[in-house]
Parts: sequence; C-alpha cells; structure tokens
Amino acid sequence: MTDAGPPEMTRRGFLRKGAATVAGMSALAAALSPLRDLAPDDVPSIEELLQKHYKEMTPAEKQAVLERIAREVEQRYKVRPTLSDPPPLDGVEFVYGLNISRCIGCRKCVHACVQENNQSRSPEIQYIRVLKMQKGSIDVETSDHHYDPPAVPEHDSYYMPVQCHQCAKPPCVKVCPVEATWQEPDGITVIDYDWCIGCRYCEAACPYWARRFNFAKPELPADQLNPHMAYLSNRPRAKGVMEKCTFCLHRTRRGRLPACVEVCPTGSRKFGNVLDPDSEVAYILRQKRIFVLKQDVGTLPRFFYYFDERGSRYHEPITPVKPRA
Amino acid sequence: MRPPTTNVRLDRVASVLVPLALLALAAALAFGPWQFVSPVPAATMVPTWATDPTPVRQPSPRPEVQIGGYTFRCSDCHNLFRSPPETTRQLTQHSHVVLKHGINTRCFNCHHIANRDAFIDDWGQEIPWNEPPRLCAKCHGPVYRDWLHGSHGRSNGYWDTSRGPQERPKCIECHDPHQPPFPPMQPAAPPNTLRMGDQRAGTVHVGVGDPLRVYQQDGASDAREDTQADGSRGGIGGAAQPERATKPQAEPEDQP
Repeated sequence: MTDAGPPEMTRRGFLRKGAATVAGMSALAAALSPLRDLAPDDVPSIEELLQKHYKEMTPAEKQAVLERIAREVEQRYKVRPTLSDPPPLDGVEFVYGLNISRCIGCRKCVHACVQENNQSRSPEIQYIRVLKMQKGSIDVETSDHHYDPPAVPEHDSYYMPVQCHQCAKPPCVKVCPVEATWQEPDGITVIDYDWCIGCRYCEAACPYWARRFNFAKPELPADQLNPHMAYLSNRPRAKGVMEKCTFCLHRTRRGRLPACVEVCPTGSRKFGNVLDPDSEVAYILRQKRIFVLKQDVGTLPRFFYYFDERGSRYHEPITPVKPRA
Repeated sequence: MRPPTTNVRLDRVASVLVPLALLALAAALAFGPWQFVSPVPAATMVPTWATDPTPVRQPSPRPEVQIGGYTFRCSDCHNLFRSPPETTRQLTQHSHVVLKHGINTRCFNCHHIANRDAFIDDWGQEIPWNEPPRLCAKCHGPVYRDWLHGSHGRSNGYWDTSRGPQERPKCIECHDPHQPPFPPMQPAAPPNTLRMGDQRAGTVHVGVGDPLRVYQQDGASDAREDTQADGSRGGIGGAAQPERATKPQAEPEDQP
C-alpha cells in the first residue's frame, strides 16, 4: 500500500484481480441474459428505422414499404399476405348506424372484428365494447360490459355497442405529438403504426374509449391470420403502438361491408356512404330518431345510434319503468 | 502496527467476498427462480358460431315437405284433404308448428286457403311462396317500409352495389313466422383484455401484485354485482376516475 513506483503484479494479486474481473463479467453477462429471448423480428430493420411518414412517401417508396411488411409477415406467420394501400374513394363519406332497439348484445361483432382485423388474441384487444345498459337510462356509468348470462337479451337491459366513432372533429388527432394519426377524406381516422411512438395521448383524449394500446407483444396464431391486409388498417401491429377501428377500410374502400355489419345476426348495424341520398344510412339519418353518444363534447361523430318506433317490437309489453332508488 | 494489519485483512476479505457475491448474483440471475411472469392470460378459443355471418334460419325456398325420403309439395296433400275454414284446434299434422304470433292465431290469416303453395294477401289473392315480405307487410307496415329502405334487417356483401352484390335476407331468414320474436341466444365470451380488466380500487395493486391485473373469470359475478350496486366502473372512462374508484366497494343493496 505504500509503494510509490509502478505496482508490481504479484501472483496473488493477479489471481485476485482476475477472479474479480471474471466474476464481474459473468454478472454483466447474466444481467444482459434476457436479450437471449429477443426474437430477431423484435429488432427493427434499418429500412423500418429510416422509413418516412406515410404522407411523405412517394408511390415507389410506399410500394417498397408494403413489400417489406409483406416479407416480415410471411417470415413471422408463414403466410404470404395480400398487402395493399387502398386510397379513399371520391365522393364517399362513411357513416355508421346502430339500431339499439334491435341489438341483443350477443357480442358476435366483437369477435368478427378481432378475426378480421388481426388483433392480438393474447392479450386480447377488441375494438368494440358492448355495454349492457339499464332500461330507462342512458347513463354509461351504470353500464356493464362483462355480462355473461346464459342467453341474451335480458329483459331489464338494452345493449349499446361502442367503438371508434370516426369523429369529424377527432380529439385524438389533435393531441398526437407526431402526427401518426389523422383523418382521411372519407372520414376514417387512421394510424400509421410505423410512426406511432406509443405515448397514448390519443387514448386519453378519446371520449369514447375507442383506442387500444399494445401493452404486450401481440400474439396472433398463424392459422387465424387474415391475409387480406391494408397498410392503414389490419396489418399486424407491434408492441407499443396504438390501434383502433378503421371501419375495416381494407374492405369498405373496395365496396364491401365491414365485418361487424356482416356478422350481426339482428341487422342492427348499418353502414354506407352518407353522400349517397339513396343509401341506407342516409335514410336512417333522415327518417329515424338518432342520438349521438356524448354529443356535448363536440366531436361530431360519424357513428349514430337510432331507434325504431315505440311498439314496433310487438313481443315486448310496454311496462312502466320503475323509479330508481 | 495495528491499523495497517486491519486494512490488509479487510482488503483480503473483501477481495474474496466481492467476487463471490458477484458470482452468486450472476448465478442467481442466470438460473434463479425469478422468472418473468406475464400478466397476459392465454388466448381464449372463440367458437366458430361467434364469427359466422350466415342468417339464423334457413327456411325452405319452396313449398315442399320431406316425408319418408319423398318430397311433396304442400298442395299434393292439401288438394286431397280439405281443412276446415277457420280453426284454432290442435293440429293433427304439422304438430311441430307452435303458433305464438300474438293475436294472429289463425292459419289462414297467412296461408292461402285454396292454394297451400302460396300465401294470401288482403284481397284474397295469392302471394308466391318466395315473397314472404309482402305477406308480413300486411300487418307490419313500418317494419316493411324500413326493410325496403335498408334500416331494418341484415345486409351482407357490398355497400356499394356497383362493385358487387348485396344480400338482403328476407323476414323469415331471421324470424320464425310462427314465433316471430328473434330468439334469445348465448352471448359470445366477455372481454378479457388488459384495460377492460377489473380496475376497482383495492383490486389493482393487491392479489397477484400486478398493476396490469386482468379480469378474473371467477370474480365475474362479484364485479357485476358491484357494478350494479355503486356504478363505480364500467362506463366510458369511468374506471379511470379516482374519486369514484375510492368509493366503498360493496354498498348495501337496500339503501334508500
């Protein structure tokens, strides 16, 4: 401890320092050992890191991105997807109508949506929430989405499915700090999953609780993958990005109905182009009693709930509503 | 002489203990029992009926009946055996038919009394078998109007009919004409998602000690009762409101 010259390396000192170094290195290696579980597709490629914003991409660049994503999907799921980027249609503005006199709360729309849009199965991500509401009340605070009776509908309830309302004044778009989400000309608010930083501001801003976050790595069995994908809708997402209902734009921009509309057994769900005066939704908006969820927040949704006439459900005796305690 | 000796001894002890501690830490991290336990539940199997878009009924498109492997038209028998004109008696044939159609209790309100292969309209004229909406429209005018305009009933296929066909199932593909209310059905599985999980105060950070605690199937009945009792959760954004979350969990049901 007192030597002033250069330290002499003794045999004992060498062994001691060597042992400490080996121990330290092995501790470091052990601390880094979780990296062993990192799958190769968890590491973003250089192309993905250098990718431009969706709106800044030229058609050629977009094609290259689609090709890269198709390659990655094929690598991961062993299924060659048909990946495209259908543009919004001219003269089309999509509007959704939901007949809450007819909805029986069977949740088939929820699961058809998951199957169509390649949501994560574990943890579950669902775009549609079916609220069981008390008859005579429209208070969502007393609603329940965990109901599981042997059969629906229950006589004292009605059901109000909630999903993205595709607002004309979307607060989720306003709060996004990186412009990863925006409203398309046909009214659909979309997300560029490759641009989203996962800050979840939009989730907090949405008054309809319609946005979902991939807290964990999305798990999707390869045999349940829907290979018909679009860049802005149902291509597989990564951990740490937001996602939401896009009115199935990979279907609806090709003229087809969304998956939730097609599966609804009671025909409570209506979809179409509101700019076409002969469309179903235009008829509903003209002729039916409509209400908009949380109208007072001023989001101007494109999702309308409507009623049928009182007494049009002949099997239901009209009973006075019991006053609530 | 004492202090240097102590320092040297401490130095030696430390030079053995520190590597040993590091090695023990390394071994523990690499082979230890502290595995990461994911709060994510295993995927639940979704039955195929939950995503099946076919209508709930497949009624016969023709006025035919299968008896003993042979196919008969309705008129084959009914031209031979005349029915009494108006009857509410117990049927001797077609005993599977249970007529619960409100005040519509007579067979010949709908079936044509002379030609059993057709239905009857308000003027006694025949309605072809494959046009049941015209028959239903006799009484259900507003619903028929809405069905024609598309606001009642299902739509499958294309919203843009210039690009592809749209199927509009007829009345009896959803409604049994003899018991018209849409039949109750089993609901598909409730959500088991992370954010839709049980987030009442007191349940989030206890139990498995996990802030991402997921909705437990076995606690489902409890969750429902509490939701009914105090309404503190389940609404849009309601689960995230702290002043509601701190309310007492189980209020007495019979509070005034």
